[in-house]
Amino acid sequence: MTERLRIKDAVIKYGDNPAVNGVSLTAGAGEMIFITGANGSGKSTLTKGIAGLLPLSSGTLVRTPRMSYVPQYEEADRDFPARAGEIVLTGTQRPGKLFHTRNDRNQAESAMNALGIYDLADREIRTLSGGQLRRVFLARAICGKPELLLLDEPCAGLDAHSHEVLFSILRGMMSEGCAVVMVTHDISDIDGIPEGRVIRISGGRIAGYE
Amino acid sequence: MSEVIELLSYPFAYRALIAGSLISVCASVLGVILVLKHYSLIGHGLSEIGFASLSLSSALSVQPMYIAAPSVITASFVIMYVSRKYRTSGDTAIAIASSAALALGIVISSVSGTASNMSSYLFGSVLAVSEADLVVAVILSVIVIASFILLYNRLFLITYSEDYARSLGINTAMYQLIVSILTALVVVAGMRITGTLLISGVIILPAVSAKIVARGFRSLVIISGIVSFVAFILGLIMSFVINIPAGAVVILSNVAILILMKIFAGAKS
Ligand SMILES: Nc1ncnc2c1ncn2[C@@H]1O[C@H](COP(=O)(O)OP(=O)(O)OP(=O)(O)O)[C@@H](O)[C@H]1O
Ligand SMILES: [Mg+2]
Repeated sequence: MTERLRIKDAVIKYGDNPAVNGVSLTAGAGEMIFITGANGSGKSTLTKGIAGLLPLSSGTLVRTPRMSYVPQYEEADRDFPARAGEIVLTGTQRPGKLFHTRNDRNQAESAMNALGIYDLADREIRTLSGGQLRRVFLARAICGKPELLLLDEPCAGLDAHSHEVLFSILRGMMSEGCAVVMVTHDISDIDGIPEGRVIRISGGRIAGYE
Repeated sequence: MSEVIELLSYPFAYRALIAGSLISVCASVLGVILVLKHYSLIGHGLSEIGFASLSLSSALSVQPMYIAAPSVITASFVIMYVSRKYRTSGDTAIAIASSAALALGIVISSVSGTASNMSSYLFGSVLAVSEADLVVAVILSVIVIASFILLYNRLFLITYSEDYARSLGINTAMYQLIVSILTALVVVAGMRITGTLLISGVIILPAVSAKIVARGFRSLVIISGIVSFVAFILGLIMSFVINIPAGAVVILSNVAILILMKIFAGAKS
């Protein structure tokens, strides 16, 4: 199985405080890994480290460059003047690629279709609800056809139907070789998802496998 | 109207018209990024440093651009770096640096006995637009517009979410650098016309107005450019008719447009 992500003994610090303290994990093509743990246990810090947004103080990180990331919180202003469709399309950008192709537009459209937000493409993001905006970010991540999909609390704000839709999309992507790493503090989000491996973290360390 | 037509028969007016409108459009397009990224103060800081450079160059009697261009570009790097690193306290650093630069410029001008040039630096002068300035303005606007078209998707992505861009492996610092250099060049080229005190308004105001009515990023960029162009033309014409420095009237036109857009948007909702 092709490996998409390998972290070994990762330590990530804010100042002198390690929020992630010696975590190792791997994810192969077609695999799904759930990372759970209490608030403040270091889940988001770990995903930011994997995404390349925070440096590792020690340890190693090897991953495919074709990664898409759905952050827990978007740092942009809520009233940023952009349409939902414009945001989704940015998910197809890669280093060295400056223009969107016809194919990119098709992928963005089908991602929006799959997530049931096709009708919202021309809406300005400031007019969207929280769950609608989350689906915009999910569509942005999946339309880039990633080999590694990193999701930080993607179910927050999703209704039961959207939740089901999300998992069926993820299964489709896994069958095409995408590895999925999903963070959630709420175990009920991943109840009845048999294919996932569950890693529980606490105080920045792996506390158990379920 | 006949005055306006008569005016265009003067080469200086014609040069001011072309150079000024090109620079206004470039400034406003870059302004979109600066406003959305909360870097509004950059233009202000850079123009004060531009003022100090102009004072220095006239004290030393060297070509203004030889001192202004490198020092403003260097300052733009420093300001970008400081505001990236310290987020909010960047504002304070810019405010300190810009008032220090302004004070320094005044001291240099006074000591060197070139203080009579000072008001033309501060308030700008359309008469100051030479053939060479016009050429610079044309080249600069080609560079700015071409970069914007070429990098449009990237600039949108980074302006909306720098973190997301970085997660895709994109070198966001490089794009930040490009935007700083272009802003510095626009400030240097534009400050002679509008004055160092007012160039930052030419950068920021059209984007703020456009943000009120634009729907989506593309329309924001386009409306910002149009607003800036219209405000410049209005300002230039009025400055000739009532004989007031063009920069001031351009800014007041921009403010008037901003107020009208606010009223218009308020009436609609
Ligand atoms: N920017 C920061 N600066 C300093 N400390 C931080 C920062 N971000 C997070 N922390 C601290 O690091 C620890 C881990 O935070 P993290 O956001 O990774 O938790 P989490 O598991 O994602 O929690 P949640 O379930 O609430 O999202 C917490 O103790 C938090 O207070
Ligand atoms: Mg978190």
